[in-house]
Amino acid sequence: MAKNILDWLRNNLRGQSGSCEDCLKILELIVDGEATALQEKQFRDHIEACLPCYESFNLEKSIKKLLQTKLEKKPVPSDLIESIKSRINETAE
Amino acid sequence: MVFASHYKPFHFKMTQRTVENKAKQNYTEQQKLHIFNTEFLPHIDSMYNFAYRLTFDEDESKDLVQETYLKAFRFLNSFQQGTNAKAWLFRILKNSFINDFRKKSKQPAKVDYQEVETYYNSDNVDVSITTDLRVDAVQDMIGDEISNALNSLAVDFRTVIILCDLEGFTYEEMAKILDIPIGTVRSRLHRARNLLKEKLQVYAKSMGYNK
Repeated sequence: MAKNILDWLRNNLRGQSGSCEDCLKILELIVDGEATALQEKQFRDHIEACLPCYESFNLEKSIKKLLQTKLEKKPVPSDLIESIKSRINETAE
Repeated sequence: MVFASHYKPFHFKMTQRTVENKAKQNYTEQQKLHIFNTEFLPHIDSMYNFAYRLTFDEDESKDLVQETYLKAFRFLNSFQQGTNAKAWLFRILKNSFINDFRKKSKQPAKVDYQEVETYYNSDNVDVSITTDLRVDAVQDMIGDEISNALNSLAVDFRTVIILCDLEGFTYEEMAKILDIPIGTVRSRLHRARNLLKEKLQVYAKSMGYNK
């Protein structure tokens, strides 16, 4: 049942096809914070009325968040820092 | 002290082009150490993790990071205090990787990127590959899945995702680090993200998420 409602929304809350194309082109600029203020405004206005583009935007954001929060960060081996420092001190003398 | 038996004596091939700043500073040894400790060393976690995603080997990563920092110190007069140290260091690391480590890397030779890039830059390619990947599937993924998906990408694609999404570099900074035009940064990112989505979609299907 939810599936059908979502499909209905996707079909009926769809922006003009031309503007969806433009929208998807600047989607990554928006997600990466590289869009101009004007592009941001146009984008936000569009996704308010276009579910497919809104969903694309959410997907990109969620993947970015996944990368930033769930990827394991390896700790730097402590002997590495010491080794670098001692080599530098040798060079500096 | 060596980390790996193949470690060569320190030797650079750093060219003038490798460093952004052509104007030379003239720091005292004390100033150099200060810059090194306060502006360079704090980035070591990011550097080590990036090196690890390039080499997948702890010893090679340590060698790569050490070589990068030694080069950075040796060429410190080319660095302007207070400017973007992280980008500068990442550029040195990336060049060291290409020049000295890529040959030894355990990664098999990958696709010819020039070819891939030319194809995917052409206008008739889909703006975005549609996948059935759902947000809730993504949110339910675990670290191993995203890590494997990222690692499975060719190194140039993996690199742009790391630089942009993990390290937060701007497109302009990435262009300087990678020595490519901003347009190429964008198209490579676009392609990398589509590839990543395809991998994640495979995991999502195996987790039982189907549209």
